Amino acid sequence: MRIHPLKQILLHIFVIMFMVLLIFPMVLLLFNSFKSEAEIFAAPMGVPKSITFNNYAEVLTQSTFLINFKNSALVAFATVFLSMMVSAPAGYALSRFKFRGRTLFSVWLLATQSFPGIIMVLGLFVMLRTYHLLNTLPGLIVMYTSFSMPFSIWLLKGYFDKIPVALEEAARIDGCSRARSLVKIVLPLSVPGLLAVGTFSLLLSWNEFFFALVIMRDNAHYTLPVFLARFMGSGGVVRWGPLSAAALLVCIPVLILFILGQKYLVSGLTGGAIK
Amino acid sequence: MMRSSQPSFEEERRALPFLIPALLVLCLISLYPLIQGISRMFYTYQALTQKTVFVGLQNVELLFSDHLFLRAFTNSLVWTGASVIMQFLLSYWLATMLNSRFLRLRRMFRGITIIPWALSPVVIALMWRYIFLGNGPLNMFLQSLGMAHPPSWLTEPRLALWTCIIANIWMGIPFVTVMLLAGLQTIDKNLLDAAAIDGANYLQTQYRIIIPSVKKVILIILTLETIWTFNMFDIVFVLTKGGPGNASLTLPLYAYENAFMYYQPGYGATIGMFILLCLLTVVVLYIREVLR
Repeated sequence: MRIHPLKQILLHIFVIMFMVLLIFPMVLLLFNSFKSEAEIFAAPMGVPKSITFNNYAEVLTQSTFLINFKNSALVAFATVFLSMMVSAPAGYALSRFKFRGRTLFSVWLLATQSFPGIIMVLGLFVMLRTYHLLNTLPGLIVMYTSFSMPFSIWLLKGYFDKIPVALEEAARIDGCSRARSLVKIVLPLSVPGLLAVGTFSLLLSWNEFFFALVIMRDNAHYTLPVFLARFMGSGGVVRWGPLSAAALLVCIPVLILFILGQKYLVSGLTGGAIK
Repeated sequence: MMRSSQPSFEEERRALPFLIPALLVLCLISLYPLIQGISRMFYTYQALTQKTVFVGLQNVELLFSDHLFLRAFTNSLVWTGASVIMQFLLSYWLATMLNSRFLRLRRMFRGITIIPWALSPVVIALMWRYIFLGNGPLNMFLQSLGMAHPPSWLTEPRLALWTCIIANIWMGIPFVTVMLLAGLQTIDKNLLDAAAIDGANYLQTQYRIIIPSVKKVILIILTLETIWTFNMFDIVFVLTKGGPGNASLTLPLYAYENAFMYYQPGYGATIGMFILLCLLTVVVLYIREVLR
């Protein structure tokens, strides 16, 4: 098969055009974080002329950034851990046992996606207040765990399905219980699946904004997205230099982990969708 | 792994311990808040007496006579329709190009495409808020092209919603492209070669071979994107807060304002219920299409 050289050149031009559109906003953010406020508006698109670290220094020393970063890290870590703990047994049950309501599962998966944030947050608000979990990190963690659970179970079920039952049967003859065989045999073989779940719940908990905005009441408890929105303020003058630096500091850790884990997430998500 | 026979009691009993944690989370943090949240639509908060009182369907009646609700609903339809269609078309174009064997550096391009997926919607919105500023980079660029008076994207009522839509399209492209690409990669290359030998043109190949092969992926993507976009709060909140006036007000934003700024959680829940009914219709349509 061959293609006309002109067509091939056009193909590359279009793809590069897409890449520029996808990258450019992020590059602007990077540039702005190293520019002084005056330079940001003197040359909105230019490369920083004299690189300044003032924006970063300001964010790190004169705002609650580090506290909010710690909050986000804690929430993300706990959500990832809990999502795996809850989803692995459920995914295993879906993959290995038959029980009524199995087919309901995929319907439920889609249905939870359609639950409007406002209804969930109003319901959760009352519940969290009752248990004094309003404005606390544990409140946010249990919420995020429940949000990430449907996809996590679905991802893990897909991975478990690919592991031959024969492997477990041999162990079961030797007296290995179901729970043991999940932990000792199935999970070690499902590391890519666990990484997919980890990446998914990390993104979800690190980036979520709406529920954190409603549940968290003061600066000391905000997660990073709420911190950013507050830092930008409502109306008035936005200070783009420090804001860009803060936004970049928010993105970088999760971007690095995402680049490491995206392979597993993509194959998990697409594997299920294509089947 | 479908098994046709009725599950035995023994099997169900053994499956249960594995399901308990998930069922607990499901009931406590998903079903219970859902029901609790919905029940809020039958109550209203009276600021004078500081009491919440049962009002039956009064909030629903209010909904049907509320012009702002109608405005938010039409905005939501435009926002969702335009976002999902444009996301899909652009991603489809990009995915077919990334799938082409005549493209060099494919791995690198695919790697770049995926990056914005990791960004928080808040970060994406503030990035675009800067780009769309009156004296920001986009207008600077337009001026350099000779446009004397570039529009003020965020404060012009006719444009504000579309400005938000552009940012939202950008945000959705990585996910949709990656999913479509995975679907395209499952198509047998021999089938395409055979079609080419038979003299099928571009459109014939698309309609007869490619689209039918990835129909399932397309359906799930369109369904999920419709749901996510209709429920999307962050982008509009950070970019315009629904303004100027209420030009870019969408339903999730209007519900939030009622519940947490105007002390009308009951009305907020009613709007939420309306959103839920719209989206469940989408889910039902999807399931019917898949089961057909």
